[in-house]
Amino acid sequence: MTLPDEKQLHILRGIDLEVLSGDHIAIVGRSGCGKSTLLNLLGLLDVPTSGELEFMGQPAQRLSSNARARLRGSTVGFVFQQFNLLPGRSALDNVITPLFYAKGKDFWRRRELAMDMLDRVGLSARANTMPNMLSGGEQQRVAIARALVRRPRLILADEPTGALDVETGQAVMALLDTVATETAAALVTITHDTNVAALARACYRLDSGVLSPLARAEAGAHS
Amino acid sequence: MTSIISTLVEAWQELRINKVRILLALLGVALSVAALTSVVGLGSLVREGIKAQSERDGGRVATLTLSVNGPSTPDAEKLEKAYEGIQQRYGITTSTHVGRTQAGFQFPRGVTAVNMTIVDIGYGIIHRVPLTQGTWFAADDEQRLAPAVVVSEAFYNQAGRPNLATNPRVSIPGDQPATAVIIGVVPDTYPDTPPAAFILTKAAAMTGMKPDMTEFKLWVGEEQANALTAAISADLQGQFPGYYAQAQRVDFAAWGDPLGPAQWIVGGVAGLVLLLGAVGMLNISMVTVRYRVREIGIRRSFGATSGRIFVGVMMESVVATAVAGLAGVMLAVAVVKNPWIESKVAPGLTEFPAFPIEAALLGFGAAVLVGALAGAIPALVAVRVKVIDAIRF
Repeated sequence: MTLPDEKQLHILRGIDLEVLSGDHIAIVGRSGCGKSTLLNLLGLLDVPTSGELEFMGQPAQRLSSNARARLRGSTVGFVFQQFNLLPGRSALDNVITPLFYAKGKDFWRRRELAMDMLDRVGLSARANTMPNMLSGGEQQRVAIARALVRRPRLILADEPTGALDVETGQAVMALLDTVATETAAALVTITHDTNVAALARACYRLDSGVLSPLARAEAGAHS
Repeated sequence: MTSIISTLVEAWQELRINKVRILLALLGVALSVAALTSVVGLGSLVREGIKAQSERDGGRVATLTLSVNGPSTPDAEKLEKAYEGIQQRYGITTSTHVGRTQAGFQFPRGVTAVNMTIVDIGYGIIHRVPLTQGTWFAADDEQRLAPAVVVSEAFYNQAGRPNLATNPRVSIPGDQPATAVIIGVVPDTYPDTPPAAFILTKAAAMTGMKPDMTEFKLWVGEEQANALTAAISADLQGQFPGYYAQAQRVDFAAWGDPLGPAQWIVGGVAGLVLLLGAVGMLNISMVTVRYRVREIGIRRSFGATSGRIFVGVMMESVVATAVAGLAGVMLAVAVVKNPWIESKVAPGLTEFPAFPIEAALLGFGAAVLVGALAGAIPALVAVRVKVIDAIRF
């Protein structure tokens, strides 16, 4: 990226990563190492200034902003650290929101699909509860249901347990892993918590913008 | 199709969630629309009232009056023939003599002078005479031995408000005493007006009533009015050399719209009020968009395109102001169609017109336009939100 003083800042360098269907990848790294930037690239929220990024066989740089948005909506699900549930809307309304951008029967059946997804994360009984009346773990489960309601091919979780206690965080990760496995979606978790990273089937370390594989034993040792 | 419906559903959901904030913002818009629509609606009602009054005084569009003036009074028989000839040559079917005089009528409290208007049957059409009871003159009324009269409310009250079905009679004492039959009642032109009555020309002659002055009126199509005025003037002048003969328009429309300037001024004030409502709406929308930056970022992460965000933010404003516009128009209809207000605004009308559809459409259209304008700027701001920054906002 270009800084205000025209200097070039390289946040990510030499990244070579392939994410396939059914993969469960964890990326660990310190704050400021470029984890979120990598996540934004993977989720088509941003495009690289150089290099190549292919998303389902399509070069991301050649896609227009709207084409990326449509592709993102139909194939990527985001889980954020701060849950980012929309205030003033019930858990059910939050899960329905991505379906407003779906076409055809997914839009018309939005309430039914959202209820099914809330049921899968064990929150159907709290469908009409407002986010501020839910615990942190419940809020993250609603966020997971929202991320998965359009059956994405790729789930991107940015510090999904960052705002949760250890026990709740593990439960949330187990849920994410289960749902991703059931739907054959790829799960990429970005975290600075090696306990969370150890749950993944493949683990990478991001350090000063450089991505390198991390052996499971190493991840376990860190934890 | 799905995307249009989903945009509307989404906008409606946003309105439902933010109803208190939006209700406050829309109150101003609804009141502005009500003011604008009421002004146009009341203006239309006043216009109808003035038109009805003007038609009663001067005749409907387009009424011509013929006059022949000179050193001496023109021969009455020749004048009548000239009038008949003009009607035949120009294919005019509706005309009337209009003469005025006074006659004494015997009422229960004594003889009272009544302002008489001596007319032909065509007067009722040309002046669109409203009747509160009974009927206007018909062709066979000219054959009556007891002359028929159509009287004003003041006359009818002095006569004791008899039942018209009983053919009530009133005496006309004087040199040629006669008895008249009341066949219809017209409203008074203004409160406490002295008693007045209409009588047919032939019946007036029978009772010895002589008009102080007489004019002859013709009803012609508005499109032909100017051409006919010139042609008839020339025709009449040719028949009365040495006299000054002319035909001229006397209906209210001949001098333009009397209410136009006032309605423009009041409409301008209402438009200004609407503009202030729009600025308030814009202000709240701008603040709201800033408050919703994170939400917009989250929606973008779900796949909302920039176009969808733009339309979504704008539609919220448009849907909201459309609802406010509807409420404002309904309020305006309730105000304008209130019987008390109608009677005060257009006292000359016996039947009030329906609420003007153009006023309702103007109010509703203005509300939607305000919504679009007040929504477009925040929508542009929303589109410029960077997704990544917004999510971390």
